[in-house]
Amino acid sequence: MRIRVVVNGGAYERDVEEHRTLLRFLREDLGLTGTKEGCGAGECGACTVFLNGKTVNSCMVLAVEADGAEVETIEGEAEGGKLSAIQAAFDKHHAVQCGYCTGGMVMSVRELLRKNPKPSVAQIKEGIEGNFCRCTGYQQIIEAVLDVSGQLGPENQGELKYA
Amino acid sequence: MLHRFGYAAPAERQELLDLLAERAEYGAGAKLLAGGTDLLVNIRAGASKPALVIDVKKVAGFSGISWSETEGLVIRPAVTINEVLRDAAVLSRFPLLADCASDLASYQIRNRATVAGNVVNASPCSDMAPALLCLGARALLASSRGERELPFADFFRGVKKTAIRPDEVLERIVVPASSAGARGGYRKLKRIAGHDLGIVGVALSRKDGRLRLGISSSAPTPVLVEGLDEGDPVEKVVAAARKAISPISDVRCSREYREFMVETFVKRLMREVA
Repeated sequence: MRIRVVVNGGAYERDVEEHRTLLRFLREDLGLTGTKEGCGAGECGACTVFLNGKTVNSCMVLAVEADGAEVETIEGEAEGGKLSAIQAAFDKHHAVQCGYCTGGMVMSVRELLRKNPKPSVAQIKEGIEGNFCRCTGYQQIIEAVLDVSGQLGPENQGELKYA
Repeated sequence: MLHRFGYAAPAERQELLDLLAERAEYGAGAKLLAGGTDLLVNIRAGASKPALVIDVKKVAGFSGISWSETEGLVIRPAVTINEVLRDAAVLSRFPLLADCASDLASYQIRNRATVAGNVVNASPCSDMAPALLCLGARALLASSRGERELPFADFFRGVKKTAIRPDEVLERIVVPASSAGARGGYRKLKRIAGHDLGIVGVALSRKDGRLRLGISSSAPTPVLVEGLDEGDPVEKVVAAARKAISPISDVRCSREYREFMVETFVKRLMREVA
C-alpha cells in the first residue's frame, strides 16, 4: 500500500507492505536507526516515537496506520546540529550509558515536559514508566529531567536518594 | 517480523459492516484492529495469523466519548485509555473508570490501547472490565443484520472468548447515567508499575446503597459480584468475592495467594471507599 507520511518535518511517499511495522519502516526504509527495537512487544519503549503528537511504541503500529500522519523521532530532536535542552541535560548528568534506550527515553521526557513543565520525581517516574533503562538505574535520567526543568537543587537531594 | 496479511481501513460504518459480513469467509482469519497493543503482539508471537486486518479507527463516528443524562457515557471503538483519563465527564462522574484506566500498562500503551480492545480481548486480567462491570455498562454490538445490546456481565464467555459473533463489531460501550457519581476504587497487584499483567485486580463501587465488585485475574473471565448492600459486613462481602472467583496457580503466583490478595483488596477498598 502507498503511504504518505511526514517524518521530522520531511514528507515521504513510499510503498509499504501491510504487515510492516512503523518501526521497521523508519529504520529500514527511511534509514532512521535512532529508534531502536528492544522487546518488540510494547514493554521496553526503545522504539518510542511521536505519532500525530502522541508518544507510541512504533513496534506496535503498522506503517500503513501512519498513512497521512506526522511522525517525530529522535533524529528530529537536535536542531541544526545542536543538542536540545533535554539531550544536553542527559549528556551533563551521564543519563546515557549504552545509549540503546536513550532515543525512546528522550521522546518520553519531551512528552512529559510538554504536559508538565515541572514534574515531581514521582511524576517523572510515571512519565518514563514505559521506557526501560538497564544501565543507569534511572537515577541519572531523573536528575537530568529535574535539571532541565529547573528543579535540581538541595531541596530535592533527599528525595533523589530514595528515587 | 510479522507474517503477511491484508489491511483494510474502512471510512464508513456500512463499509465495515459489509466487510464483517464477508468475514464468515475468513472466519478467524480476519481481525479487527484498534490500538493494536494486543493484536500486533499476538501476530508477532504467531498466536494470531489473520489473513486480513480491519482497522476500525478511521470509521466515521467511531471516535470520541460523549456524555448525556439520557444516553449515559458512550465510549466508541477508537477511544484510547489516555482519552478516558482526560475526559471531563469520566473524571467528574465515573472516577472508577479513570482509576482502572490509570493502572493499565505504560503511558505510550495508554496512548494507543483502546477501551474497546481491552474488553474485546476478554483477557481475564482486563483492567477496564472491573470498572465496566461495577458500573453496569452495556456493550452495543452492530452487524449488517442489526444491533443488539448486552450487559458486560453477559459479554465475557471464557478466556479470550466473548459473546461477539464473527460479523459483529463492538460499536459502543455505554455506561448508564444511573451509575454516575458512584464512589469506587481499584487495586491491582503487579510486580512493576507500568508493566506486567495484573496478578489480581479488584474494583469496588458504592451507589444508592448497593455495593458491587469487579474482579480480574481470578477466574476465566473478569467477574462481577452483585447483590450486596453498602451496609453489609466485611465478612459477607469477602465471602461473596471468594465464592465468585476460581483462580488458578500459574507462573505469576499460586491460587491461594490470589485468593488471599482478593480478600485483602476487598477489605482495603471497603475501608477506603467511604
